[in-house]
Amino acid sequence: MTTDPPMLEIRKLSKSFPSVRALHEVDLTAYPGEIHALLGENGAGKSTLLKTLFGVQRPDGGEVWFEGERREFAQPSDALAAGLAMVHQELSLVPQFTAVQNIVLGREKSRGGFVDWSEARRRAAASLARLGFDARIDVPVHRLSVAQQQLVEIARALAVGARLIILDEPTASLTTQESERLFELLRRLRAEGRAIIYVSHRLAEVMELSDRVTVLRDGELVGTRTRAEIADESELVKLMVGRDVAALGVRGEPGAAGEEVLRIEGLSSAEGVSDCSLSVRRGEIVGLAGMVGAGRTELVRALIGADRATGGGVWIRGERVHIGSPAEAVRAGIAFLPEDRKHQGLVLHMSAASNATLIRPPRRHGLLDRREQREQTRALLKRLNANISPDYPVGKLSGGTQQKVVLARWLKTSSDIFIFDEPTRGIDVGAKGEIHALMRELADEGKAIVMVSSDLLEVLGMSDRVLVMRRGRIVAELDRSAMSEEAIVHHAAAT
Amino acid sequence: MSNHATLERESPPGAGLAAAGRRVDVAAVARQAGLVGVIVVLVLGFGLARPLFLDGGNLINVLLQSSVVGVLALGQTFVLITGGIDLSIGSTVAMAAVVSGLLSHSAPAPVAILGGIAVGALAGLANGLLITRTRITPFIITLGTMSIYAGLALIIAGGQAVYDIPAGFQDLLAGRVLGIPVPVFLFVLLTIVAAVCLRRTVFGEHLTAVGGNAEVARLAGIDVKRFTASAYVLSGGLAGLAGTVLVARLGAADPTLGADLLLTAIAATVMGGTKLAGGEGSMSGAAFGAIIIATLTAGLTTLNVQAFYQQVAVGAAIIIALLVDQLARGRR
Repeated sequence: MTTDPPMLEIRKLSKSFPSVRALHEVDLTAYPGEIHALLGENGAGKSTLLKTLFGVQRPDGGEVWFEGERREFAQPSDALAAGLAMVHQELSLVPQFTAVQNIVLGREKSRGGFVDWSEARRRAAASLARLGFDARIDVPVHRLSVAQQQLVEIARALAVGARLIILDEPTASLTTQESERLFELLRRLRAEGRAIIYVSHRLAEVMELSDRVTVLRDGELVGTRTRAEIADESELVKLMVGRDVAALGVRGEPGAAGEEVLRIEGLSSAEGVSDCSLSVRRGEIVGLAGMVGAGRTELVRALIGADRATGGGVWIRGERVHIGSPAEAVRAGIAFLPEDRKHQGLVLHMSAASNATLIRPPRRHGLLDRREQREQTRALLKRLNANISPDYPVGKLSGGTQQKVVLARWLKTSSDIFIFDEPTRGIDVGAKGEIHALMRELADEGKAIVMVSSDLLEVLGMSDRVLVMRRGRIVAELDRSAMSEEAIVHHAAAT
Repeated sequence: MSNHATLERESPPGAGLAAAGRRVDVAAVARQAGLVGVIVVLVLGFGLARPLFLDGGNLINVLLQSSVVGVLALGQTFVLITGGIDLSIGSTVAMAAVVSGLLSHSAPAPVAILGGIAVGALAGLANGLLITRTRITPFIITLGTMSIYAGLALIIAGGQAVYDIPAGFQDLLAGRVLGIPVPVFLFVLLTIVAAVCLRRTVFGEHLTAVGGNAEVARLAGIDVKRFTASAYVLSGGLAGLAGTVLVARLGAADPTLGADLLLTAIAATVMGGTKLAGGEGSMSGAAFGAIIIATLTAGLTTLNVQAFYQQVAVGAAIIIALLVDQLARGRR
């Protein structure tokens, strides 16, 4: 394997976004006939690396060499033409098109001005059969399973003659059997001399399948190891986390353990939450950790009635409450700060004042009291240390200030339960510290807080207790003494 | 990682922002001033060509011409702000006209008027319920009810116009007070009420939020369906009122009227700065839009321009208005 020249060589690739350095001088090589796993926590830079390689984003620095030539892919079609293909996590097929249509899309052969469908069908059928595709090729692909759609996408990659195939979390939504079949296929492709770069959170899979493993952390290369050099999964976990947790400063012990404020029992939803139970006490911050797609957001959405719960119940201060809609959650005193501020938290072209007072705006003589609305907002924003005019349209604010406006809305409602979903995602370091301080302040005031976060430092630094979710279930509860990055990653990524 | 790409830099915080914050209002005021400016230029232009155009009676007549479309445009603005559209208002006008016309034969004028408004509001309620209880888009639902209501108007009227509208009914809605026609009073009054409703009530605030981002509104505990449906009730009710006004003005209820009213009303609404995508709209803008279209039509008639050419001119004016608006926004 290593005697061949590398098929792909990435040298010192860097990419920054405003206020975030996503990739810093990362190297990666892939050889013909190799399955190469790419590992890292959420936000480690895996997606940025792949997008930059594939021409979705332009790098700030560094070089890409493919089959001995220096290449710069300005757009994905350049990469495809060169012989790279990427199977995205969100599959990129035209849902209404059949497998045949998808496979030949953009390269339809015509005869006398018409697409030669019998030829297309023959070619598509042949390549799909080779991959072990056992469904019909002439139904719209949205009626196929995810695994079958994935095969269509791989068939398309092979049809354009891809030598390097990149798969972004291909097994995230596959069953065990489907995953096994995919692995067989990947091994066959490897035997044909193709190179495969493969992103996964499932460490056991990585151990089983890959020839080499590259680990990223905080946008930097931690290292590349051959399979033989890795003793076990916990070694991979160490490579992935290996950071100084003390840096954030751990929250002081909570005062007297307060009484239970929120209790969920056996909550399930059609969005994949199954049988989740938890309880939060007064003054407590409970962290919900897990990989992306583990069902954390879905759990809190089911709790507040944003998604319909299909089973289980919610108790507030020992009383059973029925929450069938977000409006009922508001009345029950639950504040929810969604992960996607721009699409779920704020009406972007409305002012800070309108957004901050969206729930129960102030009235006078039956009319909206604009002056009072402004005054209330000014006071709330001042408390949150956000120095902006209440008239300012929120779409133009930074992520941190936007989050403060959302927070202002809920401070005004005097809710007792606060649910933060990714409270500091996409927020610069300064505002992050302020949001954390505010969360602690709320806890000290006696609020019960649930925090969903993919940032392990945040989870460890903020939480009094951590619940780890995997595949829609709560799989572990870690108290202060048991909380560690290794423990969380172990539970979150276990197969 | 995608969240990184959406990070934005903020303008420098501090004292400058207080002034910058007012920018929203400045832009809105500038647009309204622009619309008024267009009206003034049109009136003066036509006046230069035909001095009789500037006659007070003629100008009031132009306002009268704009009043029915204007009232419809107010209702359409409520609907467009939610991100929907109401294609059925023209047919609703016809249905309300026929019902109030028939009622006026036997019932007192106020009852006949209220009957017309009620029919419109009910038609709007049906639209609102169908839109919020199914997953069919407002365009399709109101395209369907447009045809249904037009058919119902013909059925109710027995296929022909309703004549013999009592004088009392006509005087009440089409008479003059202090020399000003009642429809003009209604148009101005309703514009003010609708503007206050949109900008100065919790209802308007929440309606704007629903149209701006329904998911945000829902998560903030706002009953999105109720607000969406009520916009159609308002649109239908205003169309009902417009229908009764037309009956009073024409002295007859024609079950086939209304088709061209729909497009003119939508044109007036978007000319006034209301976005088809929802979340943004202006009542005074819709009113000014209606007046611009009426002025243009009346002026071209004064210049003896044929009706066919008038259609071309009005259509071009709509597109030019939106182009100018887009250019102005781009520069800001």
